[in-house]
Amino acid sequence: MTIALVLAALLAVVCVVVVALPFLREPETRSDAIDEPDAIGRRQLELAERRDRALAALKELEFDHRTGKVSDEDYRQLVGPLRREAADALRRLEPRAAAAEGEPVEPAVSNQP
Amino acid sequence: MPELGRAALVVSLGLIVYALVAGAVAAVTRRRRLAVSAQNALTAAFGSTLVASVVLAVALVRHDFALTYVADHTSRALPTVYALSAFWGGQEGSLLLWLLVLTGYGALAVWLNRRRARDLVAWVVPVIAGVATFFSFLLVGVASPFQTSPAPVDGAGLNPSLQNPYMVAHPPLLYLGYVGLTVPFAFAIGSLLSGRADERWIVATRRWTLVAWTALGIGQLLGAHWAYQEVGWGGYYAWDPVENAALMPWLASTAYLHSVMIQEKRGMLKVWNVVLVSLAFCLSIFGTFLTRSGVINSIHSFTQSSIGPWFLGFICLVTAFSIGLILHRLPLLRARTQLESLVSREATFLYNNLLLVALCLTILWGVSWPIITEAVHGEARVVGRPYYDFFLRVFGLPLLLLMGIGPLIAWRRASLRGLGRIFAGPFAVMVVVGAILVALGAGSSTPGLVAYTFSAFVLATIVLEFARGTRARRALSNESWPAAFSSLIGRNRRRYGGYIVHAAVVLLAIGVAGSSAYQHVTDKRLAPGQSLAVGGYTLTYRKLEERTRANATEIRALLDVRRGTHELGPIKAGKNAYSSGPSTEVGIRTNYLTGEDLYVIAEDIGDDGTVQFRVFVKPLVNLIWLAGLVFLLGSVTAMWPDAREERRLALRYREVGAPSMQTR
Amino acid sequence: MPRRRSPARLVIALSIAAVLAIFLLYTSIAGGGTPAISPSQLAGHTGTVQLGGVVVGPVTGNARAGGKRFRLRDQKGPTTVRVVYRGTVPDPFRIGREIVVDGRVRDGTFVARPGSMVTKCPSKYTAKPKGQ
Repeated sequence: MTIALVLAALLAVVCVVVVALPFLREPETRSDAIDEPDAIGRRQLELAERRDRALAALKELEFDHRTGKVSDEDYRQLVGPLRREAADALRRLEPRAAAAEGEPVEPAVSNQP
Repeated sequence: MPELGRAALVVSLGLIVYALVAGAVAAVTRRRRLAVSAQNALTAAFGSTLVASVVLAVALVRHDFALTYVADHTSRALPTVYALSAFWGGQEGSLLLWLLVLTGYGALAVWLNRRRARDLVAWVVPVIAGVATFFSFLLVGVASPFQTSPAPVDGAGLNPSLQNPYMVAHPPLLYLGYVGLTVPFAFAIGSLLSGRADERWIVATRRWTLVAWTALGIGQLLGAHWAYQEVGWGGYYAWDPVENAALMPWLASTAYLHSVMIQEKRGMLKVWNVVLVSLAFCLSIFGTFLTRSGVINSIHSFTQSSIGPWFLGFICLVTAFSIGLILHRLPLLRARTQLESLVSREATFLYNNLLLVALCLTILWGVSWPIITEAVHGEARVVGRPYYDFFLRVFGLPLLLLMGIGPLIAWRRASLRGLGRIFAGPFAVMVVVGAILVALGAGSSTPGLVAYTFSAFVLATIVLEFARGTRARRALSNESWPAAFSSLIGRNRRRYGGYIVHAAVVLLAIGVAGSSAYQHVTDKRLAPGQSLAVGGYTLTYRKLEERTRANATEIRALLDVRRGTHELGPIKAGKNAYSSGPSTEVGIRTNYLTGEDLYVIAEDIGDDGTVQFRVFVKPLVNLIWLAGLVFLLGSVTAMWPDAREERRLALRYREVGAPSMQTR
Repeated sequence: MPRRRSPARLVIALSIAAVLAIFLLYTSIAGGGTPAISPSQLAGHTGTVQLGGVVVGPVTGNARAGGKRFRLRDQKGPTTVRVVYRGTVPDPFRIGREIVVDGRVRDGTFVARPGSMVTKCPSKYTAKPKGQ
């Protein structure tokens, strides 16, 4: 009975310590704000997602074309708007994309959707 | 030791409530240290729940009958592995398992995303904690596994017919599935709460949903196999409310897995996806409510307990909260893109969703019908098997066909002429197969024939997809066929893993169609020496054998099986007589080449040595179990980590300066 | 070229309507299910019902020849009714067990539909579906 109580007390203490850990480690801190993207960062993320989506769609279209699922004429019809979309998304991200290391994603000519 | 268990559960409750409150405050006021503290609390809650679980497990193994739960569900003679499986054998223990898995999943999900989605995780923690609060509260206040009473000399024991490997595997797998659906739900709700319009929640929970969905699917197949092999009434699914309780969230998750692809590719259906993931989660809670509350006349139900109203209240709360939040954030979720063409992959996915959700809701309606009619008319009414079978066919068969159509249509828009070219081959296969089947006599069942021909169509499209892809890969890289094949799959795991899963579903459809629409059954009472004929087999009853074991007397009727002129050997079927009652042990003879089963039930063994037999011939039934293995293979392929994808994601987040954790 | 929204939304709406129509059509033709009642509520039910109750002895007869005969009692009440059943008898069947059978009343006896017996095992985690 007493062992159980001792263990329970130990458990409670450990849990309290774990919970208090962030405050114990940094009693005073410069910034207590959650590290999150600001409005610009959020917009950039959405744009990046849009760009990746457009590029992925292009890759998938080429893959489908190569495997014969999309006919030549269908491909011609579809590829134009997709390329425009991708270019547009890339353009909007330009300032950031230029700062990143070179080509952000794999070249579009791989057969990887 | 029960004091330690009780204390640990109280500590868990405290930690979880702290995680809920502190986490919510931290998310709203954007306080970092408090958010991390709440996150730690969730992890600590897992630790504390684990302590409680270990206490219960040890008590079960050591036959500590001072614990009411142990006394109710185990006995001294019970083998250790089944004593352990009694952990989830009763109300309180299964609630503890649920909480354990939930806190474990929660801690893991939050930890895995601590860098990439810091601000999102800040909201996910209180949501998971909110769900966990409910279960934790039940365990502390309403259904404690650590209740003690004067210890009896020996426990009540586990029903002998539950002492089989299925009891060890089936419930935990189902729980991994049910509880796993909480994670995508929490991330979706967290994303809504944080007011973000990005897709990080989908990226973060993609594999979680797959894992939960797979566990739920395999768990159900195990349950079906259990019913077929051990319970022995000749079937594998009875549309019992508890069986449906697992099927409904599985169907909703299947719909979600497809529609989330549309959001990824086109940015559409954001509202629909959040609705679906909430539906899947609510159905998982509803499912466990059905199993426990005894509110529906089911052979699976627990004792009529007081726990039902609590669950009902929780479900209403969660549903209301989800609906309210979705409505509130509706402007955020409105997509800019819309459906361009009705002949596109998006459109087929939409139809797939419609059919899956329709099937899910009709099952929900059928399950709830007794409750509704009782409330409205004062008299409960039940729907029978024909209701479920009808809708399974009406919604399921078109779904089967769609599985073959969807992958062949391009995104956005497909021209009809291009479609004609693509579908010509599989369509031809379908017609030829159909003609052959009719010639072989499959026309006796229209739904069966339709299922078979649709399956042929889908299989043809899947084979073509693999072939075309491999050929294209070869053209690019000049590899050999096998190398091209494996690199094709390696580079497109989700797509081809998905195709393998589709193949599994087709196998399942063929197995179900064969064993239900084309089965043969005969009932006959035989004296030794007499025979019966069924489905091309002739069975001759020879004699009865009796064997006495430690806890049972085994009686078996021995029969010789003959097919045409071939002697196929003996088969045994009979009963085990336990102290608590008899249990049927069926005899199954599997033809591994055709997948056909000869299924013998010795229903009644007379004192005069005559036996009442019920014999089934079930064509293709073993395809169902094979489908389970293929399903697992496909799912694992689809969820296998992809280094390329990981790099791309890391790059994306680095580019936009998303939150990353410096070593603090 | 962005299309007008109507066609896609219209088709989706029509599909949902079609699904609902199928559902309503089926339920109106097939009826609203079978009443699930206990022996005390049998009076006035002439059609097929699902009867649930506790098995009361004596149990006589053979389910395969002539029918198994027993009485079924309300879960919480004294009313009993005579039952005759043919077909597969699930293993857990015994006096004191809760069962469910489909059937109708004929001349004061509840004649069960063959093979429709299902037993409940409320005190354990799972009992098994039998019959059907």
